[in-house]
Amino acid sequence: MTIQSVGQSVPRVDALGKVKGEALYSGDLSMPGMLYMKILFAERAFARVKSIDTSKAEAAPGVAAVYTAKDIPVNEYGLQIPDQPVLCGPGAAKPYTDLVRFVGDQVAVVVAETEAQAAAAVKLIEVEYEDLPPLLDPIEAMKPGAPLLHPDRGSDNICVHYRIRKGDIDEGFKKADVIVESEYRTPVQEHAYLQPEAGLTYIDEEGRIAVVCAGQWTHADRDSIAHALGLPNEQVRVIYPAIGGAFGGREDLSVQIVLALATMKLRKPVKIVWSRRESIIGHGKRHAVILKARWGASKDGKLVATESEVIGDGGAYMYTSNKVLGNSTITHTGPYFVPNIKADIYGVYTNNVPGAAFRGFGAPQALYMAELQMDKLAEKLGMDPVEFRLKNALQQGDTMSVGTPAPNPVSITEVIQAARDKADWANRGSKVVAGTPLVHGRGFAAGFKNVGFSFGYQENCWAKVEIYGNGQIERAVLHHAGAEVGQGTHTVMVQMAAHVLGISPDLVEIRTSDSAKQGNSGSVSASRMTFMAGNAIKGAAEAALEKWNAEERPAIAEFKYLAPPTTHMDHDTGYSMPNFQYAYSAQVVDVEVDTETGHVRVTRVVAADDVGKAINPDLVVGQIEGAVVQAHGYAITEEYKTDKNGKVISDQFSTYLLPTILDIPEQVDSVIVEIPDPNGPWGARGLGELPYLPYAAAVAAAVHDATGVWIHEFPFTPERVLRALGKI
Amino acid sequence: MNLWQEYKRPTSVAEAVQDLASAAGPALPIAGGTDLMLDLRQGNHPPVHTLIDLTFIPEMSALELRGDELYVGAAVPVNQVALDPMVGTHAQALTEAANLIAGPQVRNTATLGGNVAHALPAADGTIALTALDAVAEVASALSGVEQSRSAGVETRRMPFTSLFLGPGKSAIDKTREIIVGFYLPTAGPHQASCFKRIMRPQGVALPILNCAVWLERDGDLVKDIHIAVGPGGSTPFRATEAESFLRGQPFHDETFARALDCLLDQAKFRTSARRASADYRRHIVGGLLRDVFDTAWKRAE
Ligand SMILES: Cc1cc2nc3c(=O)[nH]c(=O)nc-3n(C[C@H](O)[C@H](O)[C@H](O)COP(=O)(O)OP(=O)(O)OC[C@H]3O[C@@H](n4cnc5c(N)ncnc54)[C@H](O)[C@@H]3O)c2cc1C
Repeated sequence: MTIQSVGQSVPRVDALGKVKGEALYSGDLSMPGMLYMKILFAERAFARVKSIDTSKAEAAPGVAAVYTAKDIPVNEYGLQIPDQPVLCGPGAAKPYTDLVRFVGDQVAVVVAETEAQAAAAVKLIEVEYEDLPPLLDPIEAMKPGAPLLHPDRGSDNICVHYRIRKGDIDEGFKKADVIVESEYRTPVQEHAYLQPEAGLTYIDEEGRIAVVCAGQWTHADRDSIAHALGLPNEQVRVIYPAIGGAFGGREDLSVQIVLALATMKLRKPVKIVWSRRESIIGHGKRHAVILKARWGASKDGKLVATESEVIGDGGAYMYTSNKVLGNSTITHTGPYFVPNIKADIYGVYTNNVPGAAFRGFGAPQALYMAELQMDKLAEKLGMDPVEFRLKNALQQGDTMSVGTPAPNPVSITEVIQAARDKADWANRGSKVVAGTPLVHGRGFAAGFKNVGFSFGYQENCWAKVEIYGNGQIERAVLHHAGAEVGQGTHTVMVQMAAHVLGISPDLVEIRTSDSAKQGNSGSVSASRMTFMAGNAIKGAAEAALEKWNAEERPAIAEFKYLAPPTTHMDHDTGYSMPNFQYAYSAQVVDVEVDTETGHVRVTRVVAADDVGKAINPDLVVGQIEGAVVQAHGYAITEEYKTDKNGKVISDQFSTYLLPTILDIPEQVDSVIVEIPDPNGPWGARGLGELPYLPYAAAVAAAVHDATGVWIHEFPFTPERVLRALGKI
Repeated sequence: MNLWQEYKRPTSVAEAVQDLASAAGPALPIAGGTDLMLDLRQGNHPPVHTLIDLTFIPEMSALELRGDELYVGAAVPVNQVALDPMVGTHAQALTEAANLIAGPQVRNTATLGGNVAHALPAADGTIALTALDAVAEVASALSGVEQSRSAGVETRRMPFTSLFLGPGKSAIDKTREIIVGFYLPTAGPHQASCFKRIMRPQGVALPILNCAVWLERDGDLVKDIHIAVGPGGSTPFRATEAESFLRGQPFHDETFARALDCLLDQAKFRTSARRASADYRRHIVGGLLRDVFDTAWKRAE
């Protein structure tokens, strides 16, 4: 009898090790003869490094080496474009490498016998800076004539510009009976991984530089490290240990290159562990975005035209701003049909901490604008906001902003209905709580997001399956490089392999996350891993099974899955077929607002998400609840604050306020919608980012419902709410 | 570079102050370590030579009635304070404050002595003790000749508000003195107290604003009252103007409004860049005080 694993809530393969504290994260690793590294951060937002004197540090006790810009073979890196120096300072071949562009830029590293010695020696490095006036406001930074952060990258600080031109917006606005015009601002968010950046490098048995450090894409990390060190890719090996959260933030490198450099030069293992403060100032965050919208609808409740401008603060370096803002572009009109669209989406270099990939990848910001615009239009039209959304929801064949339809099936209508019905949308309790300053409100928001990175890139993913046994299958080995960042992907991978082979998941061993041992899996991001790995594993397992049935022992097969092709956005109009699939989400949020203190408490969330097929329903619920909590921090409690010089002042968890168990929504009802994608493995789409997308907008709508005011900027801190209510 | 070189575990107050005074380098007492370890690790406090652990001293871990006073040792874990029925009976504001400090793990090790000695103007235990008019027992090491007498230790009682000099600045000289414990008046008839606070994320940090009230009722009259608000100044703030206005007054909306005006005149609310603005604190203090007052008023019926 074959065993059906897909669709079962199989326990996580990594649960026991993590619960027992046996799983080893980067910071837990050590090796004999290991040295420790400490980094000297710039701690200033914009400056030229005039000189660096390392002599005192080099003479300090226990110090093995001190490295600066001149020691990096190719002093540049970056996942999209190599615009970031590994170390900032004079002496590198590349021009402008002597500029520091944000507080977390790295200027020098010390390697010593103990961590304390390295930390002490870092303080002895003497750096002479010429401070420059920091550019912290993207609107100022994008003006012609603003000082350039990257003089070698064009004549302004605009690093990304996408245009959408669809239909004729002048004609469109002529048909508008109501127009809503607003400006919104969305905040920076810290990834706040449980495990700060850390890593260990050593020379492996084949003479390669092995980098053991959490990431999201082993092969891309490897290529970036090798590039900076001037080595062939094969001379670098990237291995992922247990990973304590990533959320997009680990797509960009942090400690890997400097560690690898030290091991390359010293031929010894080297380790680093960042403090929480270093993690908060030293590595990318969610983009802060300014969004301006003028949208029109007709009396019968149809969107007729939208005009929008979106300005993302890219911070000091590109990181993945081009991709993040590409997603903002796709999602900026929400999951709705709009016949006439004009939009300009910009990414701008500033001296802030870089904007990075973060769960939702540009969509939560764009959707905040889209969903609030929808609510305001519905209000002006006197329509129910859910009804208005359903009237405009994308249908099969409707063209999106990019001028082409989303691949079928387009399920936003079903998802909106699922959330509406589960919450019993129209039946809400009374708004006021007599005798108290409390008021209740309910809000609705929807969202959608591409699965996979695409935009013309040929999405691909590799897997290998080995089957062992004689008469019957005794065990199987699955090889896949995809990163387990806490979401449960390895469990889902094992389930899918087991399902094809018809065996218990207990019999499948997974070997993973070693660039020297597996083919390229692509990044664990863009909610793509279940879709991509599932198709790759299905292909490999089916091929291996075929060999098994032909009596091959062991039966071994590899498979590289190629996703349906996509096209990139036209420069002038955005016209494209940028993605092979989308996933859809909708939420109802109930809040209680204390009009005396301004506190917003979320009492209930109904989250409906179309995952195509829940390979593991418990893990789906886990992702929904986790995303809601993370989005709750984004919407209400967290505030990444910088001072007028660009220094981060919320640089500890005592001042960067993550929600605790006492703050999070009291109830989250997960509604799993399963409308299969014909290209997805067993119909699966993607999930990780989805439940994050609508939350901030739904909270804003609920606060409006409770208090009658629209708040265009969040987080909804008590003070911001009271100011909006006109009380302070 | 270690954060400390020596770690001592004295078992009497005398031994502790002598260890402090005779340490070979800079020395500090440590109780729960929930403030001190962070300060040392994050470099906000320079490394010390000696740490003197106060949690093995029976006198400092005692919690008992002594005559007509309730004695709470300075090294009693906050969680024990929160659960103790005597504290609940005589000092409900302290029970409430202790229950709100941090989360369970921190409460199991943090102490009131550390809360007070850290000298922050809005520490929760400190604000409750301020309204309860606690008296601190402080022990200091005697120097030179005196040392031969009385086992080298001298103790004295200090009124609570005299323990503070400024934000983070205790009047206790931590290089030779320790707080041994706190004496609280036991509650008489028609006396009651209450503590509440307003904060964002629960359980990880100091509040935006907290408030404790102790009062004695005589029918509809306020016979006596202590009001503490944090942060309402650079040290734990007693709203003495509001208190003197209210003493002997009937309690109703109008007298409350007058008292609040007194408090707003006297308090010095600050904007803290990371936490809240002065405007916000001024706005919410009225609602918080009213809430705390009403609760204490009902309890004192
Ligand atoms: C996550 C977290 C959340 C927190 N939340 C809150 C909160 O909600 N409310 C709040 O008020 N505080 C909070 N705190 C702060 C802290 O826990 C309290 O102030 C606690 O009461 C300190 O006590 P301790 O015993 O740990 O002090 P320690 O860290 O041991 O000592 C603090 C200081 O006092 C000195 N000291 C200690 N005991 C004595 C003594 N008997 N005599 C003289 N000097 C002494 C030490 O030398 C040190 O300088 C929080 C801390 C953390 C880490």
